[in-house]
Amino acid sequence: MRPLDWIVLLGTLGFIVIYGVWKTRGSQDIEGYLKGNNSMKWWTIGLSIMATQASAITFLSTPGQAYEDGMRFIQFYFGLPIAMVIISITVIPIFYRLNVFTAYEFLENRFDLKTRSLAALLFLVQRGLAAGITIYAPAIILSTMLGWSLTATNLIIGVLVIIYTVSGGTKAVSVTQTQQMAVMMGGMLVAGFMVVQYLPENVSFGDAVAVAGKMGKMNVVDFSFDWDDRYNFWSGMTGGLFLALSYFGTDQSQVARYLGGKSIAESRLGLLFNGLLKIPMQFMILFIGVMVFVFYQFNQPPVFFNEAARSKVYATPYAGEMRELETKYTAAFQEKQEAVHGLVAALKTENEAAIVIAENKVDALTTAAKAVREEVKGVISKATPKAETKDTDYVFISFVMKYLPAGLVGLLLAVIFSAAMSSSSSELNALASTTVVDIYRRSVKQHASPKHYLIASKLFTIGWGLIAVLFATYASLLDNLIQAVNIIGSIFYGTILGIFLVAFYFKYIRGNAVFWAAVLAELVVLYCHFYTDIAFLWFNVIGCACVILFGFILQPLLGREKV
Amino acid sequence: MSDKSKPVDTEPPLEKPPFFKSWAGMYWLVLGNLAFLIVLFYIITKFYE
Repeated sequence: MRPLDWIVLLGTLGFIVIYGVWKTRGSQDIEGYLKGNNSMKWWTIGLSIMATQASAITFLSTPGQAYEDGMRFIQFYFGLPIAMVIISITVIPIFYRLNVFTAYEFLENRFDLKTRSLAALLFLVQRGLAAGITIYAPAIILSTMLGWSLTATNLIIGVLVIIYTVSGGTKAVSVTQTQQMAVMMGGMLVAGFMVVQYLPENVSFGDAVAVAGKMGKMNVVDFSFDWDDRYNFWSGMTGGLFLALSYFGTDQSQVARYLGGKSIAESRLGLLFNGLLKIPMQFMILFIGVMVFVFYQFNQPPVFFNEAARSKVYATPYAGEMRELETKYTAAFQEKQEAVHGLVAALKTENEAAIVIAENKVDALTTAAKAVREEVKGVISKATPKAETKDTDYVFISFVMKYLPAGLVGLLLAVIFSAAMSSSSSELNALASTTVVDIYRRSVKQHASPKHYLIASKLFTIGWGLIAVLFATYASLLDNLIQAVNIIGSIFYGTILGIFLVAFYFKYIRGNAVFWAAVLAELVVLYCHFYTDIAFLWFNVIGCACVILFGFILQPLLGREKV
Repeated sequence: MSDKSKPVDTEPPLEKPPFFKSWAGMYWLVLGNLAFLIVLFYIITKFYE
């Protein structure tokens, strides 16, 4: 990191935090703190929704995903615009009519207190763990790449977020997210422009896209149906739709964003804004990853992008083997580089036969280079058994650190920090709102003054922030933590979505039935987790389907309660 | 302030969306944009295959 990078990084982050605190200064009541006094315009809501979803991992992992697997990840978002329309039509008017602070408040109105508390608790457990990971995931990558202390990186992200989220509540979260989105989009556009500039002189932008296409990276849409294929049109339209419905319709970190709107119209427009722009935004990030891939066809990439993990091997008896593999990789790269230049030349001639020959040669050499990379991963895992052998998260940051000029490195790091802060602040704000509104004010202290609840909200925000930082600091002690948290999320998400779907669409099912249906559904999901080999992503579907099914079965048996 | 959800008597008046006479127009814009992007992505996929 050069001085200019530090100036850009600290200046950007400092400005956002100070702006957030200043813009939302002055006395507030609980309505202002948790709902921003319903003062948000649609574009603030839209940007805030996008910034909440775009975590640091989006900017670190997505380009790496495209580098490895091409553009097809975009299909994961195909269900999102449809979900935005469904939520705009059905969910928003109900939340507004009931004037709720949190999504779970609606459940008491529709069912009863115990169902509301159950959904709120499931959310708190799931999102509480996720908040730690939102901080930990970028911190571990940044600390590895920059040599910073993991604890210090966690603390920087955590403390900055706590300062403005505690100070200004929901409004501070939303106003800072507009700045953060500007930094994120601006930084990524600059990075995209730079990577194209760094291509060899004889390779135009069109040539680069053509090379990417011939090397299988422009595989944007795949209409073939395959259960085992995670990303295709059909999984995106169904799985993506369900995921987006549950995330935007029932997760308080998103619900709070559009509940702060000036009116139903503003909230709807904010969501629809996300429905219009989310796919183009993800396309841009993935496309930058593809351009980084093309760049590395002409410039030798590291044999393993997590340089720290690679360096550690040299301190073990496997150093000789590693050195040998690196030499082999360099030779394989040089041969491939020549073949890719040949492919570019063939593409320029538009001679189909020559293109096919060049393409086949590049394919064969790419496979050979990949095989060497696999051998390297094997050596890394033998030398340091605890090391993570998946390095796609390090592809983009490695490019940024090695090739971008002074100032831009600071800007791209600001992008990653901004993304981490934007999603963390929404999570802390949502955790505090749910704790105060659905648990503390409802079941612990019912008749205190508004000032008391305002102070409680601030204290709970600090508390959840500290828990998130603490969890992020000790996260490395657990093996494969990100997967563990994803599993925990899937264990709860299906049940929560099931409760909300029953609430919105199955008027026949009432409070007692849905509560016990949710408890049974959760037990079924836990059984699947502990006693079967079912992939955890299916827990979302199983939990949701079980709540609805059990609800219908139990309603005639338990359905005598007053409505 | 009571914690119990307090149903508001009247729903806040719906404002009209920009550029369209009704919300249906906005929804079709979002869905049309999705359809357009899918077709565009399909053309890109086939063109660069």
